[in-house]
Amino acid sequence: MRIPAIVIAGAALTLGLAGCGTAGDSGSSGGGQAGVKIGMSVSTLNNPFFVQLRDGAQEQAKKLGASLTVTDAQNDASQQVNQVQNFTSQAMKAIIINPVDSDAAAPAVKAAERSNIPVIAADRGVNGAEVAQTVASDNVAGGKLAAEELAKQMGEKGQVIVLQGTPGTSASRDRGQGFEQGVKAFPNIQVVARQPADFDRTKGLDVMTNLLQSHPDVTGVFAENDEMALGAIKALGDRAGRQVKVVGFDGTPDGLAAVSDGTMAASVAQQPRLLGQQAVAAAVKAAAGETLEKTLAVPVKVATKENVSEFQTS
Amino acid sequence: MRVSEAILQAEGLRKGFPGVQALDGVDLSLRSGEVHVLLGENGAGKSTLIKMLSGAYHPDEGRVLMDGRQVDIRTAGDAQRLGISTIYQEFNLVPELSVAENLSLGRPPRRFGFIDKSAMVRQAGELLARVGVDVDPRMPIARLGIARMQMVEIAKALALNARVLIMDEPTAVLTTSEVDMLFEIVRQLRDQGVAIAFITHHLEEIAAIGDRVTVLRDGRSVAEVPADTSQDELVRLMVGRPIDQQFPRRPAELGEPLLKVSDLSRRGAFDDISFEVRAGEVVGVAGLVGAGRTEVARAIFGADRYDAGEVAVRGRRLPPADVHAAMEAGLGLVPEDRKGQGLVLSADIGENLGLVTMRDATRAGFVDRKGQRRAAAKVADQLAIRMTGLDQEVRTLSGGNQQKVVIGKWLVADAGVLILDEPTRGVDVGAKVEIYQLINALTDSGHAVLMISSDLPEILGMSDRILVMARGRLVGELPAAEATQDGVMALAVTDVEGSRAQ
Amino acid sequence: MRSNVLPRRSPAAAWLAENGAVAALVVLVVALSLLSSDFLSLTNLLNVGVQAAVTAILAFGSTFVIVTGGIDLSVGSVAALSAITLAWTATEAGVAWPVAVVVALAVGVAAGLVNASLIAYGKLPPFIATLAMLGIARGLALVISQGSPIPMPDAVSRLGDTIGRYLPVPVIVMVVMGVIAAVILNRTYAGRAMYAIGGNEEAARLSGIKVDRQKLITYGLSGGFAAVAGIVLASRLASAQPQAAAGYELDAIAAVVIGGASLSGGKGRALGTFVGALILAVLRNGLNLLSVSAFWQQVVIGVVIALAVLVDTLRRRGTN
Repeated sequence: MRIPAIVIAGAALTLGLAGCGTAGDSGSSGGGQAGVKIGMSVSTLNNPFFVQLRDGAQEQAKKLGASLTVTDAQNDASQQVNQVQNFTSQAMKAIIINPVDSDAAAPAVKAAERSNIPVIAADRGVNGAEVAQTVASDNVAGGKLAAEELAKQMGEKGQVIVLQGTPGTSASRDRGQGFEQGVKAFPNIQVVARQPADFDRTKGLDVMTNLLQSHPDVTGVFAENDEMALGAIKALGDRAGRQVKVVGFDGTPDGLAAVSDGTMAASVAQQPRLLGQQAVAAAVKAAAGETLEKTLAVPVKVATKENVSEFQTS
Repeated sequence: MRVSEAILQAEGLRKGFPGVQALDGVDLSLRSGEVHVLLGENGAGKSTLIKMLSGAYHPDEGRVLMDGRQVDIRTAGDAQRLGISTIYQEFNLVPELSVAENLSLGRPPRRFGFIDKSAMVRQAGELLARVGVDVDPRMPIARLGIARMQMVEIAKALALNARVLIMDEPTAVLTTSEVDMLFEIVRQLRDQGVAIAFITHHLEEIAAIGDRVTVLRDGRSVAEVPADTSQDELVRLMVGRPIDQQFPRRPAELGEPLLKVSDLSRRGAFDDISFEVRAGEVVGVAGLVGAGRTEVARAIFGADRYDAGEVAVRGRRLPPADVHAAMEAGLGLVPEDRKGQGLVLSADIGENLGLVTMRDATRAGFVDRKGQRRAAAKVADQLAIRMTGLDQEVRTLSGGNQQKVVIGKWLVADAGVLILDEPTRGVDVGAKVEIYQLINALTDSGHAVLMISSDLPEILGMSDRILVMARGRLVGELPAAEATQDGVMALAVTDVEGSRAQ
Repeated sequence: MRSNVLPRRSPAAAWLAENGAVAALVVLVVALSLLSSDFLSLTNLLNVGVQAAVTAILAFGSTFVIVTGGIDLSVGSVAALSAITLAWTATEAGVAWPVAVVVALAVGVAAGLVNASLIAYGKLPPFIATLAMLGIARGLALVISQGSPIPMPDAVSRLGDTIGRYLPVPVIVMVVMGVIAAVILNRTYAGRAMYAIGGNEEAARLSGIKVDRQKLITYGLSGGFAAVAGIVLASRLASAQPQAAAGYELDAIAAVVIGGASLSGGKGRALGTFVGALILAVLRNGLNLLSVSAFWQQVVIGVVIALAVLVDTLRRRGTN
């Protein structure tokens, strides 16, 4: 009897992937075998920020003796719904969701609710469904902090360019809104251009290069994430950190390194590790039946040259 | 024949495209109840003319009258409203849909907003009865043969109450008995008062079906003559000069065998084929469509595999299914499907002529394009290809000139054995004779030609020896001098009856 | 006897008909010069060149594939994989940088050869084979980099700098790759075979062209060009990023098609592709200079792509 090739291929692939799972870092993180089973769906691991979020979550799980399974939704909201549904059938005691899209996550959360599994939202909230707790940094407050820090370093006067994230995302919206609020307090600072660079380093470089043509006299840049800020710094060359102050957002390792070098004036550091830790802590509590506050604001901090070392160690 | 008023009259039609004056003053008058043959070489303007009458093109100058009133045909819809239907060589049918659905395409009978299937089938049945064809209206088009598809096309034209029916080479794809059936229907429509414009390349069909003939040459209408005009005269009008001989075969001295095929077989396609072709010889292969002639040709050339047997050129055995090796040995194939397999339509004439020799003209990866152009120019000249230059796209050439390009690429490569599969299908009389002259020139210089053709007069007129195939087997071999059409057909058909059982 | 040669149309009209994209680019440049005083400066034009470089190099590679009537969706991912490979072998594995560059190029070519094998021998449609490679290459880039950017070796990063004060290296690389692409397409056997295969694969085969082998060359070249693009991209940032060049395959395809190639094969030229890439870069640059809102930018880019191809199609239709 001939075994169809596709079956063999399928079996080989499954075995191979199972191997990857244990060897790689997306599997369960050991600890107490009898620990609480927690599922976590991360929006994407194609971004250092979320990689750190996951690392923090895994540390905390280890510490608390929980068994954590992490999946990567690859920025695909429907895939994320599938993953959360799979968690419910795997009898997880709690689920952490880091939504790809705040609206699109609602059906997944409702499905978990029906199976009486508490859900923790991490980094981004969920619209249209109840979660046990939302653990997130305050992006609006962060934008405001960025405006204040940038103003301070610019001597409270001058022209500013804003590099926006992907149009329509909540992070771009909230950070931009916070920055606008913050910058209003400084009448001598003028925002001369707002252009999208889609949270991407290359685009940050290209857009900044272009804008320098029409606005050669800028002395400040606010980028809605560190990747774009690093692109802008590349475009500014020697002027970065001297004539032109660049403030980024997220406090990624590359961003913090630039702050420490002095090319980036500051980065509003979210603390993704802390976010991940808090989310797991909340999930363990929720699994034990504790009632939690609706939101837990993880502090954002401004990382500047003076205090950057604190962030880099964490 | 009763004489009636012209339904449709075209006067002084002119149409230019960049670089080409396609129509340069064409008059045409179609009467109700006549079959009016449009005759002309490829490129004479027949297609442009019928595209104008069916709304695909708009004339630059001239006018079209219907029932004596000037009309402006700008879209296919306009033509339809005026009662003009056109049946192109490429059918306008959806293969996946049923006959009935095709017949009511775009305007199905409705009931309460839903398609009324039973009414649709009934109406289709009536239409099919009018053209006298026995087809289940529920059958999908894809399962019909070409002849029946054509009948469905005619029925479709009737459904639109066509008063003028234009048929573009309807007999090109039909067998003899199917042609007889088509003529029967055409006569019936004629007697019902439909005016029929009929395009054909087969001169013998003109007397059989036509009433009057309009001859086009170089975009002008040069004559309107009765259908019983002699063939020689029609050819003279069409080509502009008299053609002495339709099949000017000039036998050459025979040399050693160049191509030797032994016991070649492929399951389900052909079986036990053996023959040889000698230097200076033209061997014709006759048979019905589907007898396996094309399959054998492709297998010899290495385009397809075979299960058993061998092919040798100049005594050297060729590896199976290796086009490259066949070419190196000096084989060339002019395939049956010119546009689908013979030409790169989007490329220019020079590029197509150089396709076969490109590998040999390459040094260290770089093609000697100048040398290639020189060789192409020489062959283009030799073949008298009508063109604006070597950089003209092959797509824009007429059928005859396209065929010259396909043959030409093997001339550039100087292939010793040329396999021609239906070399003159869709080629006009003038170009046909040029192709025949070329075959003569090839055999004179010691080349061998294997010619597959469904055109019996051509097989009889141009071959030195005739092989007949039926049901995948060689069933006979005749010296051309002794062969008759009836003799060849008898061979091609009888064995089919005999071996059908398996 | 040359009496069979018909009159030809004027060379200028013929050239414009063949080069509709050039006309579109001229219109765009004139419009932007009028709208923004900053547009027509040497620095800005060099910036446009730099910003066009990566797309253009990817698009040159895609031109080969599109001329054969295929499509390569994997070029963006392969670019990222090659850049990550270079950075990883040079830093983590400690290999000398010239070796790392060769390895990176080899990875790109290898990815292309896998595509071609799936297409030629596995008989997969190019869309599917390269869609699979899009995922595989991106995934491998993430696996190798563990999801984090890797710094590029300094020697290689000079590719992202300028020679002297003004002359940007990416522009030079783009021009060199463009000339290579043009020479391959116009002068070599491989290039001419691409046109024949794209125009009519069966006719090409029956004319003795080894179609399968030529496809290996075609997709291998596409992969190689993608590797060069990836290296240039990473050099500009001095950092190889696993998520770099995501979605660039669509820009590359757009550039090729704007440049007058046909997705059904048999048509396309390196110069046209170059102009197509410039149109996209000029457009993005102009939208920044004019401070057009984020939401409208995507609309404008879409409209211009459609218009550029439409104008070209209409021109061709008019001349046939």
